[in-house]
Amino acid sequence: MVAEQQHDFEVVDMPINMGPQHPSTHGVFRMVLVINGEKVVDVTPHIGYMHRGGEKLMEAMDFRQGIGYADRTEYLAQFSAELGYCLAVEKLMGIEVPERAEYIRVILTELNRLSSHFMFMGAFGIDSGLFGTSFTYAFREREYLQDIFEEVSGDRLMYAYFRVGGLAWEVTDNFVARVHEVLKKTQAGIKDLDDLLTTNEIFMARCQNVGAFTADRAIAYGLSGPLLRASGVNWDLRRDEPYSIYPRFKFQIPVGNYGDVYDRYLVRLAEMRESVSIVEQALEQLPADGPIVPEKMPRRLRTPPGEVYAKVESPRGEWGVYLVSKGGDKPYRLKMRSPSFCNLSALREMTIGQFLADAVMILGSMDIVLCDVDR
Amino acid sequence: MTLPDGQGEEAQGDAAGSSPETPPPAEAAAAPPAPDAKPAPKPAAERPARPAREAEPKEAPRVAPPAGSINETLAAAAPAATLTAYIVPSLQGDAVAVEVGRDDLVAVMTAAREDDRLQLDYLRCLSGVDWQDEGLEVVYHLWSMTKRHGLTVKTRVTYDDPVVPSVAALYPGADWHERETRDMFGIVFDGHPNLVPLLLPDDMTDHFPLRKDNPLQEIEEWQGENLREGAGEDGE
Repeated sequence: MVAEQQHDFEVVDMPINMGPQHPSTHGVFRMVLVINGEKVVDVTPHIGYMHRGGEKLMEAMDFRQGIGYADRTEYLAQFSAELGYCLAVEKLMGIEVPERAEYIRVILTELNRLSSHFMFMGAFGIDSGLFGTSFTYAFREREYLQDIFEEVSGDRLMYAYFRVGGLAWEVTDNFVARVHEVLKKTQAGIKDLDDLLTTNEIFMARCQNVGAFTADRAIAYGLSGPLLRASGVNWDLRRDEPYSIYPRFKFQIPVGNYGDVYDRYLVRLAEMRESVSIVEQALEQLPADGPIVPEKMPRRLRTPPGEVYAKVESPRGEWGVYLVSKGGDKPYRLKMRSPSFCNLSALREMTIGQFLADAVMILGSMDIVLCDVDR
Repeated sequence: MTLPDGQGEEAQGDAAGSSPETPPPAEAAAAPPAPDAKPAPKPAAERPARPAREAEPKEAPRVAPPAGSINETLAAAAPAATLTAYIVPSLQGDAVAVEVGRDDLVAVMTAAREDDRLQLDYLRCLSGVDWQDEGLEVVYHLWSMTKRHGLTVKTRVTYDDPVVPSVAALYPGADWHERETRDMFGIVFDGHPNLVPLLLPDDMTDHFPLRKDNPLQEIEEWQGENLREGAGEDGE
């Protein structure tokens, strides 16, 4: 740390506006920073530029249409969002998903976690001043994964492939072979990024001891996902409140020691390797054939009255759906608990006292999706 | 697949279609063979009553939590508060729900967070629900990272006086959730440090989009109807 220097001139607090159009805000996000010299004294985040009233719109959509909207909120981890929404409806209706559909869901969700973390690695490298190097590496790998999703769902971004009860249609014939093929490339890609970033002198200097957050504060703010684990909380919904068929797989939960930006990066890097392992195990256990939707599905989805809070471990943390139904084919109220929103609410406390340049690193390390923040 | 009775349309149709044709076999075996070709119809009292077609329930069934549930600990930790506890079967992990009056809310939330037996330190979700005639509801989903148990706390207020005490001092994570809920439902969180619009424009403080008296624009409802009817005839 630089020692505080005594000046004989007056230093005044200066407000700086950043965003809403700014390359390092990862979307349409604005923050007003008050700085004293290089130190951040106060931050006021402004969100809501992407607010489309999604929760209201979903009240007018039936349970099938809502899946497509879940994609549009969490556009980097679409399968996680679809899974969370489907789990909520399935729990309320009491539907059991066929085995094969569960496996394909897990495979796609974990591949999606990989593609989302690749996105993080690329963008975070840019934030830390690596220019485009990590970005091009990460995006090459991401493209292979994207190809699989496109082959399976027919779309590159808005998959809408999961259905209440199972899947929309069968995967392609060469699905297993394709995933194996891409996993090999992915593992090489993870190693490339590891070599490029982890022990990079400049990257380490920019990341270590920046934005450290203790476990107590992380829990108090309701942080989740890699941010929570980097702060030393051993918590992962896939293991601790298991959903789908996650108890059938063996995987480690990486946990950080210092809660700083560097730990968040390391946790995500380790998580990617675990995801590869989960996908490999799932491919091994995947039933060769079988139904992908329950045999007896009502033509029109109607839930009994009730409420449910379903949650999945998305790449950013706990993506929850609080679904209240009064019966009928539409939700009475649907609240999306998005991890980006909860994580971002801790930005102010994380950033105060840090250097201005580090504010960008802290924001980048949260890996927010602004559509998911604003919904 | 397990469907609750009277839910799935197809399942319902099957059950209704098969029952009149086939009499219960036990009944047929027990009846002595009649000498006449035409057996006399049984008196109505002996005939098994056809199961009534169950009407779709309007409200979720509420079950009292079993003895030793978390709500008893909470009642012991906050003795002054009046709690109504029940189980929402579909909620699973956070199944035990507790309804409290807004005057008791802070006492209950403080007990939930601070009491050694509860340690519900993680506010995972805070939502508003508009129940129209029955007022506005705020739902807190709590979780304990150390004890690994959950609890749902609910409180209701009226439209005329939509004020709920803020828990942002207890749970810093509630700060943004409460601002969002004020934006969307007009619920005022008393004692919140900075209750200004979060997602909505700064000057939009008198219009609450997620309330039910605020319908979607006609065009969207029309589109929804159109999709269901399989329309598009005018285009062909």
